[in-house]
Amino acid sequence: MTDATADTTLEGAIKAIGLRAGARVVGIAAAEAFREKVPEGYRPEDILPGARSVVVAGGDGPTAGAWRSPDHRVMEITGYDLRENVAIHAMCDHIESQLAHYAIQAPSLPMHGHEPPMSMMHAAELAGLGSRSLAAHIILNPEYGLLYYAALITTLPLAPDPPLARPACLNAGCAAMYKRLGTTPCLRVCPACLQGTVKDGVIETSTYDREKCHSRAQTYGIGSFQKGLLAIVNEDDAAQRRTMIYGDFFTKTLQSVGFFRDSIAQCFECMRVCPVGRKHRKLQ
Amino acid sequence: MTPLPADAANLVKKTALKSGASVCGIADASAFDEPAPAGHRPGDLLPGARSVIVVGGAQPRAGDWRATSPAVLHSMGTTERIQSVGRKLAQSIESELGYYALYVPPGTASGDTPFLSFMLAAELAGVGSRSLAGPVLNREHGFMYWSVVLTTAPLAADGPEPEGACPAPACREMWDREGTTPCLQVCPASAGGCLSGTLSAGRPVRTFYDAARCNSRVHTHWVGGFQKILEETLNEPDRDKRKMLLYGDFFTRTLWAVTYSSTNIAQCFECMRVCPAAHGLKEMR
Repeated sequence: MTDATADTTLEGAIKAIGLRAGARVVGIAAAEAFREKVPEGYRPEDILPGARSVVVAGGDGPTAGAWRSPDHRVMEITGYDLRENVAIHAMCDHIESQLAHYAIQAPSLPMHGHEPPMSMMHAAELAGLGSRSLAAHIILNPEYGLLYYAALITTLPLAPDPPLARPACLNAGCAAMYKRLGTTPCLRVCPACLQGTVKDGVIETSTYDREKCHSRAQTYGIGSFQKGLLAIVNEDDAAQRRTMIYGDFFTKTLQSVGFFRDSIAQCFECMRVCPVGRKHRKLQ
Repeated sequence: MTPLPADAANLVKKTALKSGASVCGIADASAFDEPAPAGHRPGDLLPGARSVIVVGGAQPRAGDWRATSPAVLHSMGTTERIQSVGRKLAQSIESELGYYALYVPPGTASGDTPFLSFMLAAELAGVGSRSLAGPVLNREHGFMYWSVVLTTAPLAADGPEPEGACPAPACREMWDREGTTPCLQVCPASAGGCLSGTLSAGRPVRTFYDAARCNSRVHTHWVGGFQKILEETLNEPDRDKRKMLLYGDFFTRTLWAVTYSSTNIAQCFECMRVCPAAHGLKEMR
């Protein structure tokens, strides 16, 4: 993670473009770094032949004001800029037009099940932007906490950033809480989805119920559309079907499918209590 | 804590305009206390909210209004751009000024009820006033789309406009001559339309507005269209007719509208198409 706006190196110039385009943080990983943990078929060079580098951009989620809102429905449909994607395209354009190397946005939407062609979480880790947390393995940036990630793959060789020297999770306060109470804020707020243990102030084990978490985090969206549609199609009574079709749940679901970036997630409870990056949520 | 710059309101407005807004105004959060119902005031969404920033823009271009094919406005919405300005402004207030900022979601919490009325916010922030047809019109730019940001920063507020864009001089003349205006004439409630109204002391007074009818016409091909065809399809016993319903133009266009919500948001613009105040003051060649 670097504030690269004053960096005059090649890497610094690329990062500065990403930051100017709206990314909060930008980091670089070597394409070959993915080989250790990523199965064949999901590595950068499997997507772009000759890939040498992966540039990752992290963008802001909800504002501190949104986190502060007592109306939970605000966070459920709060809007996101998803500027990390814009930043990625700005850097891709620069690399292709000015540096004459191939550059593509790394595909991250699932192709089957929950499996993306390339893991943005792992890319963020390798680019030194964050580390996995006890909270559903969400990547936490040590400075800003929860961010949203996008990446580009390029044939341009770039000097990589080192992975974090110390993981962002556990925060010192969480480690002290675990020592005292045997739990952390995230584990305590969502024992239904999260499980984990801590040893000597670092994560020892961590797992989560992905299906349960997914269905709660995305109450409205493609999953609820499929669920609602199945129930509607299976309902024999026309009057009851009408109620289901025009009801608030299905209507909001359709709106969320249409306005995806205004309705990305509905449950934020493990992140609400997470202290990492909280200093940026304490304003006047 | 960083002190709030004396010209913070101007800084915010400059950021908004630079980010793509055509207009930006600020209302005092307390101004909502009387006209807005409890639960829909700035402090209900952001505790300690002091100011409400309203940005307007992303309206159809003069060329869009002039296009001869109705398909242009039916399928070429621009509203999403102003929401990006609102989001960016909220982030900027937190990063640059150190005060809480909440981008008010443009969607609804439930049913048709917004979190906070953007129309009221635009009026209180002095960037527009309600027209006889309904939409808030800006005096210079006419019909616009709005985005609203709440903040705990105490910013210098603008007052409501002393005089609105509606009725335009041409509408006053038409009223004196014919007892109607272009918007009332094009969509009269008495003949299957949505609007009724009058001019009283030169000010627009809407006497009737059929919101449900207007909504179903404005959003012909959107969530409502999807629900309508889904219900009809499931009620249709004939397989061939079901196929026609699902592959027909109406449902196909509806699916385009749902998936391209940001560019296909509304289909009826007739009251605004005929409004002399809706297209802005700038003359085009």
